[in-house]
Amino acid sequence: MPQHIKRLIGAFAVVIILFLVLQSFLRPTSFGKLGHYRADAIQENKMKALHFAGSDKCTKCHEEMKTDKEVGFHAQLQCEACHGPGLKHAMYADKFKDGELPDSLLLHKPGSRKECAVCHQLNAARVKIVFDTINNSMIKQIDPMKHNLVDKRNFAKLVCIECHNPHQP
Amino acid sequence: MNINKPNLSRRDFFKAGSIIVGGITVATALTPFDGLLFATEPPKGKGKWYGIGIDINKCIGCGNCAKACKLENNVPKDPFYFRSWVEQYTIKNDGSVLVESPNGGIDGFKQSVPDEEIFKSFFVPKMCNHCAKSPCVQVCPVGATFETPEGIVLVDENYCIGCRYCVQACPYGCRFINPEKGTAEKCTLCIHRLDKGMQPACFEMCPTEARIFGDLNDPGSKINYFLKNHTCMVIKPNLNTGSKLFYNALSPEVR
Repeated sequence: MPQHIKRLIGAFAVVIILFLVLQSFLRPTSFGKLGHYRADAIQENKMKALHFAGSDKCTKCHEEMKTDKEVGFHAQLQCEACHGPGLKHAMYADKFKDGELPDSLLLHKPGSRKECAVCHQLNAARVKIVFDTINNSMIKQIDPMKHNLVDKRNFAKLVCIECHNPHQP
Repeated sequence: MNINKPNLSRRDFFKAGSIIVGGITVATALTPFDGLLFATEPPKGKGKWYGIGIDINKCIGCGNCAKACKLENNVPKDPFYFRSWVEQYTIKNDGSVLVESPNGGIDGFKQSVPDEEIFKSFFVPKMCNHCAKSPCVQVCPVGATFETPEGIVLVDENYCIGCRYCVQACPYGCRFINPEKGTAEKCTLCIHRLDKGMQPACFEMCPTEARIFGDLNDPGSKINYFLKNHTCMVIKPNLNTGSKLFYNALSPEVR
């Protein structure tokens, strides 16, 4: 074999060995376990913090709401859909007595025209087939700018929950 | 230095040439190149293989899914970062299509076209399709995005270099670069909730049960019941992405 070929083979061998040594140091251990990615990343994604607790946790303390809501049009609506994520509220609720929960842990009580209109505003796309299988009904729609508007100056004060019970509308 | 030049005759040249060309042809015929690239394949047997169903007929466009997603996953509040959002499609009488999504539908929709001009209008909730042949997974240069054995497309935040290649590759516009971290971000199907036996936030907060998810491998699952009883379509089937997000009552205008 000519000498320049031997040198070339030697050079290649050095580079390849150097690459393999460097790779063994730099490559994360779980890389390639399940595919061309770090298998540990699945676990890292699973470790992220929760924010929503689920209605089962809510009704542990607020039992009366469950029985209230069961028969109403909002039976299929989850508590946190209106009140916001409540895992922190649920976690700390046991440590405080009734009515002692600090303001930062209290959940939002919606009921303004703007908040209810998110679902109930009149919209051509919202005329839908029957989806509420429990009550066999379609969603009620109103124009929040006109609905039951006695006095225009009192618009902001006329909130939906004044007349409607949101848990049993 | 001596270099021996081989003295090839014309006959030798043709001989060697025909052996090489013929050999390649025979080898290709025996094992044809399998052109379809799968990021992952459905597990054979017992493993889970998640699929999603969305019923457009049931969606009332409340935007609860988009809102819940932002709150659960700490998605930036700016109105252009979404992992899950709702679009209102309005097809006018003259045939033109109007697509609106004010703040992803979180603050609700306002009908911008008068009733007389509307031919039909509907809401389309959108999210990651968790494709089996994901274009976004195939283009990642560092292996930072991948599909789990359960069929969920995830991003490895610690490995992502923020090259934005996957953002361009996704045909559904489901990825963005997190402005604080500088890495790609997308729907994880709330894998942190699935792990604890809970539903993903957007599915849990849907008031009309328009969103369904489940194990496609389990014949008795909700998603299989949904697929059996509805005529379902995926968005952009021509791209052969292996999308696992099935829409009932999907109009061809939706893109």
